[in-house]
Amino acid sequence: MATHGEITESLKAFADSFNKNERLKIMNKDWDRVVLIKANDIESQHTMTLKNGVVSLKEGAADNPDLTVISDSETLADIFYGDISPTEPYNNGTLKIMGTEDDIIRLDFISLMIWGE
Amino acid sequence: MQLKRVLTLRTIVATSAGLTLASSSFVAAVMVANYVLGDSAWIAILAGGALCFLAAACFSELNGLLPSAAGIRLYFSRAFNDQVSLTVSLLYMLIVVIGIVGVESLIISRALSEVFPAVPPYAWIVLMLMLVTGMNLRGLKIAGAFQDIVTYGIMLSIMLIGIFALYKVDFALKGPLSPGGAAGVINAVAIGVFLFVGFEWVTPLVEEVTQIRQISRGMMIALGILSVVYAVFTVAMTAAVPKEVLAASPAPQLVFARTIMGGAGAFWMTVIILATTLKTFNAGLISVSRFMYASAREHVLPAVFSKVSLRYFTPWVAIVTLFFVGLAAAGITLYTQRYQVLVTLAAGMESIVYTMAGLAVISLRRRMPEENRPYIIKGGSLVPVLTVLVFALLAAAVLLSDLRALLIMSAALLACLVYVNTAVPYLKKKHRSKKPAARRRPARVQEEVKGE
Repeated sequence: MATHGEITESLKAFADSFNKNERLKIMNKDWDRVVLIKANDIESQHTMTLKNGVVSLKEGAADNPDLTVISDSETLADIFYGDISPTEPYNNGTLKIMGTEDDIIRLDFISLMIWGE
Repeated sequence: MQLKRVLTLRTIVATSAGLTLASSSFVAAVMVANYVLGDSAWIAILAGGALCFLAAACFSELNGLLPSAAGIRLYFSRAFNDQVSLTVSLLYMLIVVIGIVGVESLIISRALSEVFPAVPPYAWIVLMLMLVTGMNLRGLKIAGAFQDIVTYGIMLSIMLIGIFALYKVDFALKGPLSPGGAAGVINAVAIGVFLFVGFEWVTPLVEEVTQIRQISRGMMIALGILSVVYAVFTVAMTAAVPKEVLAASPAPQLVFARTIMGGAGAFWMTVIILATTLKTFNAGLISVSRFMYASAREHVLPAVFSKVSLRYFTPWVAIVTLFFVGLAAAGITLYTQRYQVLVTLAAGMESIVYTMAGLAVISLRRRMPEENRPYIIKGGSLVPVLTVLVFALLAAAVLLSDLRALLIMSAALLACLVYVNTAVPYLKKKHRSKKPAARRRPARVQEEVKGE
């Protein structure tokens, strides 16, 4: 089981990598979204906001997210550090994502661009 | 917590019905009519629809238990194992896509060739597939409200044409409850199931709704509406045009519309065929390309299929590959004219998947008894057991009625099994060898966790 702090660090690593990647920033400059990341085995909620191609992060839940990512803390930390691809936990039901299909594929693609396969 | 975009019941019904309503459905409707005596095709169609309610109940329970766009890939993986799940998912995509693209292509080429006889039929297929592929590559989607209008408009048109035809021929049921021998009825019901192929493809929308039960309700309403629409239209077709004439045409709905309403009817039906086929191609391409992308991301298909367009964020390699698969399937169907075997194959495959859905409900009730189920089928194991028995019987009946279909299905199953047991382990091993040995997650933090 990962800690809330570890999830925070993994999300920071994800956000930093995104914000350092000029190509990703340009590609996503029109994709303004609010993503809620929630662990289902510990008390841990984060809100990641993409606005004008920049990712920002805050602790706690958003009221009106476009996407909600729910999984156990270990899986969340591994995914956002890029140690595992989101697809396997998604296909075996460990990871749940609520949102439109296009947004889900975009989020997966961003993860692919940041961390590779 | 509330998602910003939430789908309405109207859109869920339209999506479920829209995925089901294809031009090839009318070919299947004529096959149903030919298996039974007189004008009793409606019995087989309503029975097929009623049986699909059993499968819909199973999908509703599975969807509530495991709400994910991964659908059967996840249900079967949890209920049986990953190999079974992957084999069935690959086979399902292969058979249903090739079957539907093949039959739809033949119908659309036939319909448009009548309007523009100078243009070769295959040119229409290339044009249609290019249009849909282009839309998919650019990530263009038909707006939700417009899609709803198109689907409800098509259903209303079909219903009105059917009622008008029944009125025009002064129809009266001659043998309403005399469908003939048991073998014919079983085959008719099995093919009747094909009319509803794809109603469950609405389950991936579960991630876009807040109330999971809406998906169940939407599927059931769509099945109810379609059962009535298909039954009325099929009875009208066979009442107005001899069955042999309908059976000889790959676009029986066009023959029927011309007989009843002349040139205006043919034009109206051509527009319906065009809209229906475009909608079916589009939905198929979206679903299957996303399935290929996800499979490549979990290293069960070659990594090339996970390539996404940097401009449009669409899985372009998967989409372009499907374009060529579609062209090949359409070309072979057009050349051989053996479209009925494709309908049989798709009906058989669908019955197998529904059988497995029933088995999955039974298995998951044992494996995950404590898990929250927003939708539970009433009556204990009765409905899932009935689903298993009925659809296993229908699968056997429909495949044994056409040995060519059985042979193709067996060969495809064997190919999928070989692929899953040889290529998939190779792809996974290749991926593992490429992965960096060290994890990015700091070891220091992990040690602290162990110490806690």
